[in-house]
Amino acid sequence: MSNPYEPIKAEILEVITETPQIKTFVLKPEKDFGFEAGQFIQLTVPGVGEGPFTPSSSPYEKRKLEVTIMRVGKITSSLHTKKKGDFVGIRGPYGNKYPIEEWKGKEVLIVGGGVGLAPLRALFLALVHNIDDYKKIAFCYGAKTPQDIVYKESILKKWPDNFKGKVSFRVTVDAGDEKWKGRVGLVTTTLDGIDEEIKNIEESISVVCGPPIMMKFTTLKLLDVGYKPENIYLSMEKNMSCGIGKCGHCQLGKYLVCRDGPVFTYSQLKDIPAIWD
Amino acid sequence: MKELFLSKDNYQKWIRTLSESVSLYAPVQKEDFLFYERITEENIDKVVLDTKRTIHPLKSFFTPAQRKVVEYFDSPLEPSGEKRIILGAKNCDLSALKISDSVYMGEKFGAEYKDPFYIQTRENTLIISSDCTLPDENCFCNLVGSKPFPEEGFDLNFSTLEEGFIVQVGSEKGEEFIKQYESFFTQIEEGMIKKREKKREKVLRILEKNNKEFKTKLPYRELIKESYDSPVWKEHSEACVDCGGCNQICPTCRCFLLFDVKKGEKYERFYLWDACLFTGFARVAGGANPRPLLYQRFSNRLFCKFYFFPENINLDACTGCGRCIAVCPGKIDMRKVFRDLAVERKIPVGFEDE
Repeated sequence: MSNPYEPIKAEILEVITETPQIKTFVLKPEKDFGFEAGQFIQLTVPGVGEGPFTPSSSPYEKRKLEVTIMRVGKITSSLHTKKKGDFVGIRGPYGNKYPIEEWKGKEVLIVGGGVGLAPLRALFLALVHNIDDYKKIAFCYGAKTPQDIVYKESILKKWPDNFKGKVSFRVTVDAGDEKWKGRVGLVTTTLDGIDEEIKNIEESISVVCGPPIMMKFTTLKLLDVGYKPENIYLSMEKNMSCGIGKCGHCQLGKYLVCRDGPVFTYSQLKDIPAIWD
Repeated sequence: MKELFLSKDNYQKWIRTLSESVSLYAPVQKEDFLFYERITEENIDKVVLDTKRTIHPLKSFFTPAQRKVVEYFDSPLEPSGEKRIILGAKNCDLSALKISDSVYMGEKFGAEYKDPFYIQTRENTLIISSDCTLPDENCFCNLVGSKPFPEEGFDLNFSTLEEGFIVQVGSEKGEEFIKQYESFFTQIEEGMIKKREKKREKVLRILEKNNKEFKTKLPYRELIKESYDSPVWKEHSEACVDCGGCNQICPTCRCFLLFDVKKGEKYERFYLWDACLFTGFARVAGGANPRPLLYQRFSNRLFCKFYFFPENINLDACTGCGRCIAVCPGKIDMRKVFRDLAVERKIPVGFEDE
């Protein structure tokens, strides 16, 4: 019987500095390691500890995988000191995925905040891989300052150029600087006039990931502009330890985030007390 | 189920034989308490089969407080662990195994990821339970739909009579095992079963009497619904000192943490008991904490037992062993919590079964 707590080794092929606090690590697992957009992995920094992260690369890229990680605690701080050629461990993938097959023929609105864009990048890359399957993709993103924008090159230049017509982009910062020419305001302001991009909000899908407070106000705003609770998809952040439904850390009402999530619809969660805390 | 008789003399000879040939663990009396110990020449005379449950829950055998699960990207799993016999487990502990079985090897909690350490220990352990004959003032299995004697979940079960024991065979494993010791056992004689039923009845009546004032018209899993904002949680958690003792001593509390330790250039990963009463239990690295306040964590523990588990596997994750009451330095009694939730909703409290 295999040991579900045992990770496999993965070599760090490259470290990309996204912002002063955020790095993307390109990993090459020593064994095959596929995942679907929305699923998470448990990443081990040997001798330091293990934590849950969501891959941010395309699920269609089979040889390597990327994780975008903000430096906040013990494990992430140690990870930020790692260099090309170092090893980490990974287990998984765990949890459910974004049900993108069910979204075919629909308009999809993606709303990300800060480093919460990581799983949404994997989702976006999965969607554009079969871009003709979807009617429209609207991509909204908010960061604190221009400096804090992750995947800058992609978001501000590459993607808007490559997916002209089919994808619209709205990127905002809470506070601009002298070079910033774009929107200024909280990410919720990108939803003002969203009906210019999404024609049939009633039937459209929205996907949100970001800090808890951002998820809360974005969800409220989405409901306000006419999204149905069952069409609002949320990636819930919890402190999964085992990742496999046993340790109890990620319990949320009757759910376990590692088993029933991390992707939930708002209709699944709306009656659970304190979901945003 | 097959039932046999074991005389008192043969019982003494039998456990001596067992203690010499396998790892036998049984409740041993130390002052007022019973502790599980490995049985040897030294303590074999202090083994107590009846009276009540031990201080420690049975989970200590299957999910020890600390267990190494990874050694630098490799599994430290041994192909064969120690074979053990646990003697004298009470039904409150057997029922708790249903919860841990569901978590570690069931279909509902990560069916593709069964815990090989738990499964191995479970397979290597033979469980010989025994009827509870003297529940204490904290015992309340009757309030959570359980009984002081087991009807399933054991390999063998012992019921004490004046002249010896009725031994019930509860599994194929038990059947196979007892074959090796056939000469010790005889057929049950007339009237023995009746005597056992009478004894069991008596114990049930003690429990009914002890818990009369706590008996609520609605079961706990109904009472807890819609109680999230009840002031009862704050009132009862005022005496809580956040020690997590109730978590550690509870036979069904199964939350754990995977904790890595550096060892030279390598590392080891340990499975460690965790406690949902602790402040940081659900806190994420960024600082967000769904249950920053003590009363929230206090209520969460009981919501887990009477809402989360019933919703998931249709079982309450409480067996009424009363250890959480016995261990609590604040003298918090969950029976009183539910009594007050019932009072708050004007649901009848305090009557004996008709």
